[in-house]
Amino acid sequence: MAQPSVTEERLEHLQHHFIDSDQQFEASKMGMWIFLVTEILFFGGLFLAYIVYRAWYPELYLLASEELHTFWGAVNTVVLIGSSLTVAMAIRSAQLNQIKGLIINLWITIGLATVFMVIKYFEYTEKFAKGILPGAHYSYEGIAHEKANIFFSIYYMMTGLHGIHVLVGIGLMLWLVYKAKKKVFHSGYYTPVEITGLYWHLVDIIWIFLFPLLYLID
Amino acid sequence: MSAHHHHISTAKFLWGVATSLFILTFITVFVTWIHIPEPWNVVVAIAIAVVKALIVAAFFMNLWWDSKFNVLLFIMSIAFFLLLIGITLLDTLYRVDPVPSF
Repeated sequence: MAQPSVTEERLEHLQHHFIDSDQQFEASKMGMWIFLVTEILFFGGLFLAYIVYRAWYPELYLLASEELHTFWGAVNTVVLIGSSLTVAMAIRSAQLNQIKGLIINLWITIGLATVFMVIKYFEYTEKFAKGILPGAHYSYEGIAHEKANIFFSIYYMMTGLHGIHVLVGIGLMLWLVYKAKKKVFHSGYYTPVEITGLYWHLVDIIWIFLFPLLYLID
Repeated sequence: MSAHHHHISTAKFLWGVATSLFILTFITVFVTWIHIPEPWNVVVAIAIAVVKALIVAAFFMNLWWDSKFNVLLFIMSIAFFLLLIGITLLDTLYRVDPVPSF
């Protein structure tokens, strides 16, 4: 199959210890996958805490999750899936040497990620106002369970760590826009776009599990 | 040599993947309205999430076309995560006095 070729052969990205662009690309991608393994296990610890406490206090999870708004959780799920689509489109644009499309898709992704964080901000502040805070700071009386604070400690740890990842993703994509505007990327070199895309899809996958586990119990 | 063989998905395909994820999101919300009895509601919710995650990993993260080693890395991370859950539950599910003070 004939690839859209950059026949002028830009090779300024190629570092001397790699044989060619392909080997450099594959090495970077494998490195990213190893990082994603550590990310899965990083979040895995929190998912485990969730499972252990849910096995101990099943009724607590049913009661406490009613404080979470399924509608906004669902909206955020759609927003993140949409951003996964635009990041995949950004990679496709880079592969086809369409740098304008790359930048546009990155901006849409940044916009959707920001929408996600704004919704999360309103969810958090609404709970803070009620006294639903993690751990010892919990002071809400509306849930008839003495361990109600534990559910929300887990909620804040999981969604908080996920939110930090979204913020990091926004930063990475702003950096990609900057680089793309400086004409760094082309169909022969778009490794940072590919690898940020992998990161972003993993952040999406984590939320795909957080949504039903936290918002959809009952 | 710029004869790289990176997989390039068509825009139509990527939209199809996203659409399937939107539909599955709707289904996972929909099944909470029809109240499936315990414990099947949890099983269905997790099953749908797993399908969605696999779709993202295979077709957005391109594992479907990627080197087998990267697929292996992904599978191993899941395997070790399941091991972590399994071994911990062997403790926490079978305690005589299950609940610590926290």
